[in-house]
Amino acid sequence: MTGEDPGPLIRLYGLTGGRARPQGETFDLVAIVTTVDGPFHTGDLIPEHRAVLSLCRKPTPVADVASHLKLPLNITRVILGDLRREGLVTIERPRPVAQTIDERIYREVLHGLRSL
Amino acid sequence: MGYAVSEPGTTAVASALAIKILIAGGFGVGKTTLVGTISEIRPLHTEELLSERGVGVDDTSGVEAKTTTTVALDFGRITIREGLWLYLFGTPGQDRFWFMWDELSLGALGAVVLADTRRLQDCFPAVDYFEQRGIPFVVAVNCFDGARRYDPVKVRRALGLTETIPIVLCDVRDRDSVKQVLTTLVTYAVKGIS
Repeated sequence: MTGEDPGPLIRLYGLTGGRARPQGETFDLVAIVTTVDGPFHTGDLIPEHRAVLSLCRKPTPVADVASHLKLPLNITRVILGDLRREGLVTIERPRPVAQTIDERIYREVLHGLRSL
Repeated sequence: MGYAVSEPGTTAVASALAIKILIAGGFGVGKTTLVGTISEIRPLHTEELLSERGVGVDDTSGVEAKTTTTVALDFGRITIREGLWLYLFGTPGQDRFWFMWDELSLGALGAVVLADTRRLQDCFPAVDYFEQRGIPFVVAVNCFDGARRYDPVKVRRALGLTETIPIVLCDVRDRDSVKQVLTTLVTYAVKGIS
């Protein structure tokens, strides 16, 4: 082990100060994240935070944020929890499926799947 | 059947929606392959080589070619349109990762339980899990090369499924086949909530 790369996990947890769980109210893996309208100074933010703020100007699911950052979901969620605490992003609260999927959405999904 | 009509001026702020679908089933049954077949992004996953001890514990007889297993999250995405996505999450295939299932299944539209007829018993835990929590699911029988084609009636009996739960024969490597599995699930799940 001596002299070897300690592995990506150590670097990753450096981004979160060693935390594995996000702060505040829990949120789903597919909750929609939206950047709050500025103005705010992003100069002293770490690159990952800036990347999230830039990406989520368009509402983006948590899983996609992870995909863009190329970071594991749990690390991404800690980062998002921090940004939410700072008031820089909003994260949608979980909604029951029955409230989110109506006939129109269902038709769209079926049509979308069939035309893939 | 009425299509929802948007109020004037509200269309621009129609909220984005990501729909979550779970892909469950035993070790080595093809969950990762299914997600990869249909996803527009390379599935994100964390795979670990099984230790020798792990190989023994997991009993890979019948799935000799597989040397790694998904131990963390594995997901893919299908964009229906701007602001409407389907996310497919492969559930961890080993018992020691059950703790992740509760979080994954929260708010999910439904689940696909992948079954391998050579090891049908491997999908019992997933079937039990979704039945107990009232999460709509379909059973997709992955027809591996060399695996005997099973009669869906026999699969239904072996799994003790009620008549209403759809069973689909599929090939997880085939895009049209996976599309059929997903449309079956979406239709079945939406029937349950409307």
